[in-house]
Amino acid sequence: MRRLGLYLLLGIGLVGFAYPFVWMGIATFTPEAEIPELTLLPSRWTLEHYRLVFERIPVWRGLLNSLVVALAVTASVLVFTSMAAYALAKLHWRGRETVFSLILFTLMIPFLLLLIPLYTLVVRLGWTDSLLGLIVPFMMNATGVLILRQSFLTIPRDLIDAARMDGCGELRILFTIVWPLSVPALVTVGLLTFIGSWNEVLWPIIVVREVQWMTLPQLVALFAVGGGAEGQLGPQLAAAFLLALPIVLAYLFFQRYFIQSFATSGLKG
Amino acid sequence: MGSRGLLGVLAGVLLLMGCHRPASMSIAESGKTRLVYWTAPNPDELALARELVAEWMAANPDVEVVVQPIPAGQSSEEVLLAAVAAGTTPDLCSNIWPGIVEDFVEAGALVPLDQFPDFDSLLDARIPETVRASFRSRDGHFYQLPWKTNPVMMFYNVQLLREAGLEQPPRTYGEYLEAARRIVADTDGDGLLDRWMGYRDIRPIWWQRYFDYYAFYIAASGGRTLFDRQGNLAIDTMASNRVFAFFARLYAMGAFPKAVWTSGGSRFIQEQLATDFTGPWHLIWLEKNAPPDLTYDVAPIPVPDDHEGPVYTYGDYKNIVIFSTTQHPEVAWRLARFLVSRKADRRLLERTRQIPVRRGLLDDPYFAPVFERYPILRHFAAQAAYTRSVDSVPDLKEILDALAQEFEAAAVYGVRSPAEATRRALRRIQMILDWNA
Amino acid sequence: MPERVTKNRRWRVRLREAQQGYVLVAPYLLHLSVFFGYPLLFAFVLMFHRWDIVTPMEFVGLKNFWRLMRDDLFFRALLNTGIFLTIHIPLQIVVALFFAELLNRPLKGRGFFRAAYFMPVVVSGVVITILFQQLFAFDTGLINRMLQALGGEPVPWLVSPALAMPSIAIMATWKNVGLYIVLFLAGLQHIPRHLYEAAELDGANAWQRWWHVTLPMLNPTMVTVVVLSTIGGFSLFIEPYILTGGGPLNATLSAVLYIYNQAFYFNHMGYAAALGFCFAIVIFLVVLLQRRFVETDTWS
Repeated sequence: MRRLGLYLLLGIGLVGFAYPFVWMGIATFTPEAEIPELTLLPSRWTLEHYRLVFERIPVWRGLLNSLVVALAVTASVLVFTSMAAYALAKLHWRGRETVFSLILFTLMIPFLLLLIPLYTLVVRLGWTDSLLGLIVPFMMNATGVLILRQSFLTIPRDLIDAARMDGCGELRILFTIVWPLSVPALVTVGLLTFIGSWNEVLWPIIVVREVQWMTLPQLVALFAVGGGAEGQLGPQLAAAFLLALPIVLAYLFFQRYFIQSFATSGLKG
Repeated sequence: MGSRGLLGVLAGVLLLMGCHRPASMSIAESGKTRLVYWTAPNPDELALARELVAEWMAANPDVEVVVQPIPAGQSSEEVLLAAVAAGTTPDLCSNIWPGIVEDFVEAGALVPLDQFPDFDSLLDARIPETVRASFRSRDGHFYQLPWKTNPVMMFYNVQLLREAGLEQPPRTYGEYLEAARRIVADTDGDGLLDRWMGYRDIRPIWWQRYFDYYAFYIAASGGRTLFDRQGNLAIDTMASNRVFAFFARLYAMGAFPKAVWTSGGSRFIQEQLATDFTGPWHLIWLEKNAPPDLTYDVAPIPVPDDHEGPVYTYGDYKNIVIFSTTQHPEVAWRLARFLVSRKADRRLLERTRQIPVRRGLLDDPYFAPVFERYPILRHFAAQAAYTRSVDSVPDLKEILDALAQEFEAAAVYGVRSPAEATRRALRRIQMILDWNA
Repeated sequence: MPERVTKNRRWRVRLREAQQGYVLVAPYLLHLSVFFGYPLLFAFVLMFHRWDIVTPMEFVGLKNFWRLMRDDLFFRALLNTGIFLTIHIPLQIVVALFFAELLNRPLKGRGFFRAAYFMPVVVSGVVITILFQQLFAFDTGLINRMLQALGGEPVPWLVSPALAMPSIAIMATWKNVGLYIVLFLAGLQHIPRHLYEAAELDGANAWQRWWHVTLPMLNPTMVTVVVLSTIGGFSLFIEPYILTGGGPLNATLSAVLYIYNQAFYFNHMGYAAALGFCFAIVIFLVVLLQRRFVETDTWS
């Protein structure tokens, strides 16, 4: 009896958190007039909403822009922050502690303080309306340094010394010895960076005004706010569903990594 | 390191970062002078501009004009400001809102037009002496050539009003409220109102207030704007209070729905609205979309019951400017002159149903055939002489935004008395002015 | 002699290592100085200037701060963030603790439930907001339709100035709570059994055990929830941007939305920078207070 109650409560939670997504998915194939109805399935299925979305916004282009930005940012963060994290964890040099506190300090500065000056910097560099403006400011990431440093600290010094004896350079040690031993941390940083970049919408809205350089979340947000959807719900939901789809699919397959990564970042904060 | 030192370092950093602006692109190809002309992005106006420019090029074979719609963006003003910042402005543009001109002038982005010898006579043909001052910038020069105006007027459904026993459109607040009492109804009996006196977008979007608060304020104050000739804040508080009170009544009695309709098309053509406040550009849309049995006409917007004299309204002016990035100001001026010629004005009237800013439009036999064909345009042409634009002051957008906020509070939600709303708006506007002084 | 050689070699190795350290950290520091250091410094310059990007910057001294102290909308944004946080933080803690407790019991399919609750966390805020725009709609929204079907009255979720911000807080809770369920669950699983056993020996009942053992042990997670939610509350942007535009009656104007409006709608870069600075100070103070309050609470 108590077990039944437990599963009942958990089931209510399940409906509460997952059902809206299911409903949204169905609604995108439902004729506009039927969307507000409480019936589970539409009387007929329609692709009309998707047709309008693909007609009004360059979905593929947006997807490509988002992918390029997120992949470039992620790759750069992985390479450069692991270099910094390695230097902080495994090498001795004067000023190391200062640099580490500096990196901790950057975490304390709210982004809203930097928003305007960072934008003016991008304007001066001439990077508005370009993917550079979306990528370069986010090529490094302090959280990444912290997570990777923590992981690198656990790698035995002997391993690294042995490699040095064999004449390996530090970069080679980092990428051939340290990286394979730090896969979970790398996955965490990579996933967090990728999702963060993929979902970011304030910065693109500020920096990009030309449709051809807009990311998918930005296109979808402007589609919902602007008149693109002609105030219809179906197309807005369809656009949102398209935006959610890649992440949701990835999540279905790799949810363990997602949860671990986000939990790690939560504990760090 | 003092603040100077800090600034010095920063200046150095900025210099190092460099601004690689492309040089202006007015390249002479095959010996021709090349002009770039930006126009409003809507298809009708773009087609008209292409047509007019083709004609002008035929008469001026030494010039090549490229017509481009203002690039897509959040709003024309924003795109133009960005272009000014980047130094990528066109040679001339015909879609300039007077509210933004002062900002451009301060940025040194415009060519003063009164340097051209025939400017005076040209301006004289367009506007009467009395409104001249409102187009002059604070430094005493003229930077804009008045091109067209869209006076805000009241479209009304003749049939609906007649059914409610009104042979004439309501002229005053009293008549309008009385008409509202008779017209607002739940026609299908489902317990929800589905016929209203009018509708306005209730979101506090500053430019939406052109069609209610600002137009009604200009009308109620007998043609005043927010600032006096010297550029001092001079809101007619009485008129402002009355406008707030009028709309508060309308919203409180349900004559206007408190809703944001972004879908379902125009309720005016579905005969759910008795009146609609908008400009003549709406005519083309109505011709294309209204059912043939919809009978509508146009009248001046309502005024307070004790109003005397002509009814003024907001005229959404769009003017022509020449940007200082041009390398051929004289050639650009020649094109501008052509764009405001009688011939071009008539085509504008005919093709877009927008009113060219020109004196004696209704008396000039050259324009008569157009009015014959579109009789409703006569109302707008007659109203055009009684329009006010916006003041040429910096931060106008935020000033209008302050009024929009109070309109939302006092009129739509009724959480503030009209007098309190005007007072608060004045206080905020004064704060903005003091800050920018 | 051999000793000297090793010393010398060690010294050389050290030097090489130090060089390598500088080289490896250099790209990061370069990026940091350009995209963090420079904006940080420039923020302090900008906030004493008036600048619309188009015309040259003009020094105005403290005028931006003078205006800020008289700007109702600045205080409105602070108030709105306060309203958001007073609903969002407790709601989040209660819901997260509730589900974490459920999941901490012996049961089948824990991973499945956990994954389902976690889903909104990874999905873009744009998606969630568009979804809730429909769920919260007054006439046609799914929630109101359900309420009406159950015989209730429709609730003006986003239309009422009093309810709009709480509605956004509910939406944000729905989106984020999965993360805190996971964190609390991890916290619960790490509480050593012997603490409970000791408490039981002292005669503590279930409620007392929860209050005196579970809750204090979850304190680090609490701090995380509170601090992350606070920062999240101050950076609300896309939610009001899509749902309400900051209305009705500015009831959902958030800090970032107001900065955005001032900077990109009215072109007041200097004033926006001043706003950013003052909001940052407020965040700093609030987080400091919260840390002190929440952390000392554990020991009382």
